[in-house]
Amino acid sequence: MDFLNQTIASAHLGLERGDFSSVELTQAYLKQIHGLNATFNAYLTVLDESALEAAKQSDVRRAADQSLGSLDGIPLAVKDNILIQNTRTTAGSKILENYIAPNDATVIRKLRDGGAVFLGKTNMDEFALGSSTENSAYGPTKHPRDLDRVPGGTSGGSACAVAADLCVAALGSDTGGSIRQPAAFCGIIGLKPTYGRVSRSGLMAAASSFDQIGSLTKTVKDAEILFSAIHGCDPLDQTTAPNQPFRMDYPKKIDGLRIGLPKQAWGEGMTDGVRTHVMEGIKILEALGAQIVEVSLPYMDEALAVYYVLNFCEVSANLSRFDGMRFGLREKAASLMETYMQSRTQGFGPEVRRRIMLGTYALSKGYYDAYYRQARKVRTLIHRAYAEVFKTVDVLITPTAPSTAFKIGEKISDPLTLYLEDIFTVGVNVVGIPALSISCGDHEGLPVGMQIMGKMFDEGKILDIAYAFEQATKI
Amino acid sequence: MKLDLKEVKRLAELARLASSDAELEKMRDELGRILEYVTRLSNIDTAGIPETESDLMMLPSREDEAFPCDEATRQFILSNFPDRAGDALRVPAVFEKPKG
Repeated sequence: MDFLNQTIASAHLGLERGDFSSVELTQAYLKQIHGLNATFNAYLTVLDESALEAAKQSDVRRAADQSLGSLDGIPLAVKDNILIQNTRTTAGSKILENYIAPNDATVIRKLRDGGAVFLGKTNMDEFALGSSTENSAYGPTKHPRDLDRVPGGTSGGSACAVAADLCVAALGSDTGGSIRQPAAFCGIIGLKPTYGRVSRSGLMAAASSFDQIGSLTKTVKDAEILFSAIHGCDPLDQTTAPNQPFRMDYPKKIDGLRIGLPKQAWGEGMTDGVRTHVMEGIKILEALGAQIVEVSLPYMDEALAVYYVLNFCEVSANLSRFDGMRFGLREKAASLMETYMQSRTQGFGPEVRRRIMLGTYALSKGYYDAYYRQARKVRTLIHRAYAEVFKTVDVLITPTAPSTAFKIGEKISDPLTLYLEDIFTVGVNVVGIPALSISCGDHEGLPVGMQIMGKMFDEGKILDIAYAFEQATKI
Repeated sequence: MKLDLKEVKRLAELARLASSDAELEKMRDELGRILEYVTRLSNIDTAGIPETESDLMMLPSREDEAFPCDEATRQFILSNFPDRAGDALRVPAVFEKPKG
């Protein structure tokens, strides 16, 4: 019997009906990983033993009629910057090659409380800095449909694992598009929740004012299940917001809904294939009852610049904790200063070093006002621009990325070109709103992603729209 | 916009990164191009605009106090020390040139 190709909802149904046990399901996925991971490099660590143990316990609970709900016994993958206690956690970096997480992240504790099974830790750009998963110290992850191409990034391992069916669903993190862009490239659903709605406790910090944990799933329903499980206020993360109601209606039609298309986004900066497919997606939403209006959303190029300046600054501050002293790599050297320098230089890859240098520059005396402070002020203006546009529309739609998955090596040699890849996704993180990417067809065999952005705490609405779209386009 | 090599060297030192001259030379070019891109921010008039104004809701500040840690967690933290003496973290000497 084929236990694979499961969604969370279908696996839950199969477990409830007794079609298979969690141990059988988990074994099937582990077998799949051991057969295919050498090809895709989606996982950095596979947790055979603890996964099977968790699956066994889930089966015992189910047999005793004490199932914990829709995630009980479901095999998931977790990005390698999210802590699972007693598990190697590298964040894709050499500096943490032998680091063992001392505790569970809050999201892991919540999923554990729901009975979830963790198959392993997925590959990523080092410390979540990149757009292609080529910046991993452990080699790039491959695109599930074309091994010469990138899966996107930084949550490329999670996106590949979901799309190639090496897990049922996965967690990722999104600082400037790191869930949505790989989801778009791999043809799945990527949800980046509102900043502050999911605890970041136990997520290794990249840029703290942008980072957010979210999901990569095969269906909208699965995104809802994972979001329901992981969201909520957490005393361990001071930036979480007080709990807000969350509800999905699963509509077939979206009558009267106002969708804004920011005219600044629909200019030159995308390939024809992307434009055609996302426009077709929007036509489908129009046919489902939505009203499509062109809107103005200024500061689009500036949002990318704001994002990168603040990202450099926050990254350089956050990564100063890696000094070879309390944890991580320590290169023995003649003096304390040399120990710092050698540990950091040997431990960090080129992109991480580049961003630390840029952040150090932008925060240094004489440049602080021109870069850091000015970027913060422009961030305020961008906030105001989004607030203004959301007075007239319910959601905004753009492509998720300017192109489909590009070739490995195609953009990595030019950092700035790779940064421009994030033009459609970073605004969401600058402002803190929720957004998702859903596949709206293939161009020359590669998936195109459509990005739906909502108001603060409006995950329910963007998921509803995605659901209506998914049902209308289901083959 | 190109940084001078001395400035890039100084940055590497501040960032506690040891790079060869060849690497610094390459970085000089890359950093220059990236900084040139983000310089567009200086064209925006931000007179009177505050540095933060967001609708993010957060928990109120709390006391900065220690909370208990279970034994398993404590052991994992200890096992991550790069060098240790019993339960203590061993670090290189801070004062390298004691006064004679």
